[in-house]
Amino acid sequence: MTQVHQAASTIDPITLAVVRGALETAQREMTLTLEKTGRSSVFNLAHDYSNALFDHLPEMILQGQDIPIHLGSLIPAMKAVADYFGDDIQDGDVIYHNDPVYQGSHILDCCMYKPVFYQGELVFWTVCKGHLTDIGGPVPAGYNPAAKEIYAEGLRIPPVKLWDQGRRRDDVVNLLLSNMRARRDQEGDLNAQFGACRVGERNLIALLDKYGVATVRAAIAELKDMADRHMRSLIRSIPDGSYHGAAVLEDAGHGYGELTIQAQITVRDDSVHIRVQSPPQIPYFINSYAGNSMSGVYLGLMMFAQVPPPYNAGLYRCVTVDLGPQGTLCNAAEPAPHVNCTTTPMETLTDAVRKAFEAAAPERVTASWGHASGINIAGVNPATGEQYVTMVLASIISGAGATQYMDGWHACGPLCCFGALSSGDIELLEYAYPIIIHRYGLIEDSGGAGQQRGGSGTVWEVEPIGHDMTVIAFGEGRQIPTMGAAGARDVLVDQKLGRLEVEHDGELTVHRQNIITTLKPGQRARNVNPGGGGFGQPWLRAPQRVLADVKNGLVSLLAARSEYGVVIRADQQDIDAAATAALREEMSKGAQA
Amino acid sequence: MKQRFRLGVDAGGTFTDFVLAEHNGPLRLFKSPSTPEDGTKAIAAGLQQMAEALDMPVSQIVQNCDLCINGTTVALNALIELKGVKVGLLCTAGHEDSIEIRLGHKEEGYRYDASYPPAPQLVPRHLRRPVRGRILADGSEHEALNEDDILAAIEHFRREQVQSVAISFVWSVRNPAHEARARELVEQHLPGVFVCSGSEVYPQVREYTRTSTTVVNAYLSPVMGRYVQRIDAFFAELGAHSPVRYYQSNGGLAVGDIMRERAVNAINSGPASAPQAGLYIARPFGIDNVITVDMGGTSFDITLAKDGQTNLNRNIDFLRHRIGVPMIHVETLGAGGGSIAHINTFGMLQVGPHSAGASPGPACYGKGGEHATVTDANLALGYLRPDAVLGGTIRLDQPKARQAISANVAEPLNISVERAAYGISTLVNLNMANGIRRISIEQGYDPRDFALICAGGATGMHITALAEELGIHTVLVPKFASCLCAFGQVISDVKYNYLASAPMRLDREADLVTLNRLFREMEDKGHRHLLADGFALDDIRVHRSLEMRYLGQIHECTVDIANGVIDGDSVDAILQAFHRRHEALFTYAEPHNPVELVNLECTITGLVDKPALPRLESDDDGVAQAHDGFRAMLFDATGSWVETPVYRGEKLRAGNRIVGPAAIEEPTTTVIIRPGWQAVLHESGSYQLTRWAE
Repeated sequence: MTQVHQAASTIDPITLAVVRGALETAQREMTLTLEKTGRSSVFNLAHDYSNALFDHLPEMILQGQDIPIHLGSLIPAMKAVADYFGDDIQDGDVIYHNDPVYQGSHILDCCMYKPVFYQGELVFWTVCKGHLTDIGGPVPAGYNPAAKEIYAEGLRIPPVKLWDQGRRRDDVVNLLLSNMRARRDQEGDLNAQFGACRVGERNLIALLDKYGVATVRAAIAELKDMADRHMRSLIRSIPDGSYHGAAVLEDAGHGYGELTIQAQITVRDDSVHIRVQSPPQIPYFINSYAGNSMSGVYLGLMMFAQVPPPYNAGLYRCVTVDLGPQGTLCNAAEPAPHVNCTTTPMETLTDAVRKAFEAAAPERVTASWGHASGINIAGVNPATGEQYVTMVLASIISGAGATQYMDGWHACGPLCCFGALSSGDIELLEYAYPIIIHRYGLIEDSGGAGQQRGGSGTVWEVEPIGHDMTVIAFGEGRQIPTMGAAGARDVLVDQKLGRLEVEHDGELTVHRQNIITTLKPGQRARNVNPGGGGFGQPWLRAPQRVLADVKNGLVSLLAARSEYGVVIRADQQDIDAAATAALREEMSKGAQA
Repeated sequence: MKQRFRLGVDAGGTFTDFVLAEHNGPLRLFKSPSTPEDGTKAIAAGLQQMAEALDMPVSQIVQNCDLCINGTTVALNALIELKGVKVGLLCTAGHEDSIEIRLGHKEEGYRYDASYPPAPQLVPRHLRRPVRGRILADGSEHEALNEDDILAAIEHFRREQVQSVAISFVWSVRNPAHEARARELVEQHLPGVFVCSGSEVYPQVREYTRTSTTVVNAYLSPVMGRYVQRIDAFFAELGAHSPVRYYQSNGGLAVGDIMRERAVNAINSGPASAPQAGLYIARPFGIDNVITVDMGGTSFDITLAKDGQTNLNRNIDFLRHRIGVPMIHVETLGAGGGSIAHINTFGMLQVGPHSAGASPGPACYGKGGEHATVTDANLALGYLRPDAVLGGTIRLDQPKARQAISANVAEPLNISVERAAYGISTLVNLNMANGIRRISIEQGYDPRDFALICAGGATGMHITALAEELGIHTVLVPKFASCLCAFGQVISDVKYNYLASAPMRLDREADLVTLNRLFREMEDKGHRHLLADGFALDDIRVHRSLEMRYLGQIHECTVDIANGVIDGDSVDAILQAFHRRHEALFTYAEPHNPVELVNLECTITGLVDKPALPRLESDDDGVAQAHDGFRAMLFDATGSWVETPVYRGEKLRAGNRIVGPAAIEEPTTTVIIRPGWQAVLHESGSYQLTRWAE
C-alpha cells in the first residue's frame, strides 16, 4: 500500500502526484534521449550517466535511478557551477564542466547544465552527466596508472559556457574536442547531452504552462519535505549513539600497501553525522575529491535506508558529512591524480559507511557487492581507419551481495553502480567495435558462500579483429574478496576474486593489478569480476539448494563439500545425507571453537 | 460483413465473454464461466445460450458467421503461473547466460530494495547448452558449426525430457545458416518436440532480446498449440467455413497455424483489443483520449490511447521477460471481483493479490469458497442484487457473502460487516487508481484529460468511485461493457508484422536492390497469407517503416515510409523524414552526418469491415418505464444506508437521464452512479457519466 503522508501544504494530492509524474517523465525522457542518440557505448549501451533536475536555489528536485556514483556529487557540483557564474546566468546558456576541484566526480564524467527560464525567470536547471569515452591525456580512455598528478590524466574543464544566450561557442567546443580521441564520437555525445537537457527543458516548460510556477513550486517543496520526513523517520529508528565501520583497500599497483578507510556515524534523534577518516592522498589515481566522496557516503546511507524513489535533496537534509582533512584519500586536494576514484576508493568508502550503519542497525545488514575490476579498450578500426576507445562496462559486471531475504543477484554489480548499469547487447558491441566477444557468462564458485549465496561474478573474454588492441585494466577486488555478512565465510577464496587473464600465444598471464597491455589478433584477454558476498553460515544452506547450484554449474562439487558441507554423489543427482550431516556438524563446531 | 453474424469470444480468467454482432442488427452479449482445462467447454456453453436466445441451432449460428474470433489468456496465464513447457536452449558457446545476466541490470524502482528477487528463469542453466560455431557482425563465418555439440545437447535434452527447443545463436540475424542446420538436427533427433529459432521469431539485431523472445516463444507455443488445435477442431466440426482468428498482442488477428508457432505474439491476446474498442465507442462523443479499465474476476487491465492512437511497445520487459515483438501496452494488476480480502501480518486489511478465481470463486457463489472477495463486498453493500444471477448460471448468495466478510475481516478488526465491506471496496479502488496513475501520470499524461471507458462485468460498480479518485470528469459505460474486449476483437483487422534486418549506410549509393527485395519478400509473404485467407487485393493494406540512426549511434528511430519501389529520390525523402523525426524526438538533427538503416518492418493488414454501433430510439418516458424499485446501498464509511433507485437498462432509451445515487442494471453489468454523478444514455448505446453538480 502507498504510504499516506499528511501533506503540510495546501496542494491537492492529485496535482502533487501529477507534478511528481511529470518531473519523473522529464527526467526519464532526458535519459532516453541520451541513450538513443549517444555515440559511445558507455552512453548508449551501458547507461553510465545520470540526469537530474534542480530548482532555482539550486537544490536537487529529482535524480533518476541512474548510477549511484553520480548520486551525491551532482548536488555540490551544481552549486559550484551556479556560484562560479553568479548573476551571469542567462536564458539560452549551456554550461559544461568536469573538474573535481569544482566538485566533479572524475574528469571523464562531463556534465552539462542548462538553466531553464520561464517568463524571464530562472526556474529550473536540467543537468546531464555522462562518462565520455576519452578526455585526452597520455592513455586512451583516461585511466593512467602512471599519472602522479591530475595534470597528467587528461583535460580539466572548469565551469565554461558552451552556449552563450543561445549561441554555440564553436571556438570553445572546438578547444574541448581537439583534446579528445575519437572526436566524432565525443561530438555526438556532446550533442546527445545537449538534446537531453533540451528535452528536459521542453517537458518542464509544458508543466509550467499547465500549472503555473507557484503551483509547481509548492508541489516541489512538498516533495522535498516528504523525502525529508521519510529519511528522518528511518534515522529516528536507530538508537542514538556513535557507530563505527572500516574497510580495507587493496594495493592495485601503487606500492603503498593496503589502506584502511574508516567511517563513524553519530545518530542524534532524527539526524545523523557521518565522519570519514582516510590516510593521506598518494601519487596514484585512486584519490577521491570531495564531490565523488559524497557519492560514496550517500550510497552507504542508501544501502541502509533502502528508500524507494523519488530521490531529491530533501533526503539529505538530516545528514551532515565530514570527509576528513583536505589532502587525504577521501578528501583529495590538487594535484592528486584521481581518475580511478569512481570505483576505487569509492566502493571501499561505501563499504566503510555501510559497515557503520550495520553496527547501528544490524537487522538491515546485507552483504557487500563485488567491486569493479574492468578494462578499457582502444585501437584503430581496420575497416574504417578510425580510432576507437571505450570503457567496457560489460567487463565490470560483478555479483551482488546476498541479503537476509535471498541469494545475491548474479551479474548485477559492481557496488558503485548497484544494478543501474547495462552491459549492452553483445551484438551491438561487436557491431560498434572490431572485436569478437568469446564469452560473457557467470563463473562457477564466484558467489560468496553463505546460507544465502552471493551472486556470481562474470567473465568477459575478448579478441581483436585485424588490429592491435590496447587493453587497460582498472579497479580492484582482485586480492581481497567481497565481504560477506552474518557469519558467511569463503573457503575457496581465489575463485571469488577478480583478475585479468591474458593469453599471449598460448601463454597465460594472470594480472591482479592495474596494467596496460596489447593484444594481437588471435590473442585473448579474459576479465573476471568478483562475486557478491554471502549471508549467514554456509552450512545452514538447505542441501537441496546446494545441489541445484551444482547441477546448474554455479557451485562445484568441491565447493559444495568444502564451503557448504554438502556431500554429493558423483552422478550429481543426489545428496549423501549421512556424510553431509557429519561434515556440517564438524563445520559448525569448528566455527564455535 | 459478408454473412449474417460475426462472433467474438474473449476467454478471460473467470468468464468467457461472447459478442455476437448481427449485420445491420443488434449486438448480443453472452457470458459463461471459463473452463481453463478445456476452453471449448465454455465456448459450447456460450453457444448454447445463443442458440436458445435466437432459437437457432448452434451449428447454424456458426455457419452463418463470416468470422469467429478468439482472444485468449492461455499464453499469458502460462507465463504468469510459469506453467509453460520444459525448454532446452541451444546457444552460442560462451553466451549461455545472456538471458540470466539480463544485461547486468536491475529494474528501476528497486535500486536499493534488498528484498526484490531476481527475475524467474524459463530455462535453468543446465538446459542452456553451448554450441561452438561463430558468425560475426558482417555475417561471415568465423568458426564452423560444431554439430557434435548439438548432438550432445540433444542427448541431454532427451534425458531431461525437454518438450521444446529454442535455438538462438549470435548474429543469426545476419546469417541464419547455423540456426537452420541446428533446427534440422533437432527435428531429426527429437521428433515431436517443438522447435523455433531466433532468426525466425525475431529477426532483429540484439542477441539478448532475440534469445529471450525465442525462449518465451518456445516456452508457450506448445501450450498455445494444444489450445488452438482444440478450438479449431471445435469450430470446424460445427461447420465454420473459415478458420478461427486469434487475437494477437499487436492489436490484429491471425489464423491458428501461425498462432501455434508464435505464441509470443499472443501473450496479450484479449486485453490488447481494449484501446481499439474504447476509441470506437468514444468516437460518437468526439473523444479521442481514452483510458480503458477492465475489471474481471482475477485481474484489472488498463490501456491508454491518446489522440486516437494506441500505444505499441517493442523490446520491453513483460512480466520481467524481455520481449521484442510489438505489443499493445497493457498495465495489469491483480485486482478483480475475486480478489481476496484478508488481514495481513501487520494486522491491516489487504485486498489481493490472491484471487478466488472462478472456482470456488467468491463466497457468494456458493461453490464452497470461504474467502471474502470484492464481489462479496459489492453484494453486501447492496450494489449487486441480492439474488442476481451471474454469467447465466451463478446465483449469488448474500448471507454467505456477509458471513465471509464477517469471519475474515469484520470480526478480526472488530468492526461492522458494513464498514468492512466498504473498506474492501475502498481499498480495491485505491489499488486500481494507482494502476491508472502508472499508465497515465507516470507517463506524463494527466488522467483528467481522458475519458474513462468502463469494461468488464465488475467495473461498473467501481467506475464512478475510480473517476472521483482520479479527478476524471467523463466516464463512458457501453451497454456491452462486460464484453468490451470481445467487441474490440470483432472490429479488428487481420494483421501481420514482418521484420527484416539490413544494416547499411543509407544514401543514393545504397544497396537499394536488396532493400526493395526484402520489402517485396515480406509483402509477398503477407499477401500470400491474406489471399489464402480469402482477402481481396483491395482489402489489403501495407505499411512500411524503417529503423534508422546516425552513423555511430546504436539505437534507432522508427520512420514511416511510403510504399512502392525505393529509388534515389525516395531515399532523399526518407533521409529528410529521418532528420525531422530525430529533431522532433530529441530537439536536434545532424543533417551533415551519414545515416544508417538497420531494420525494416512491414505491417500487412487485411481489412475486415466493422459492425456498426447500435442506434437506440429516444423516448422521454424511458426513465419511468425502466424504474424497478429501490435497494438500500452504502456510499460512505458512516454505515448509513441510502434507499437507492434501480433502473433496468434494457428499458432505458436514448437521451434518458438518471441522477445519482442510482443503479442501472444491464443484463451483464451493473453500473453504480454515486451521489453527485448523472448518467445519460447516448443513442450509440453508451452511458455518459458526468458530475452533475458541475
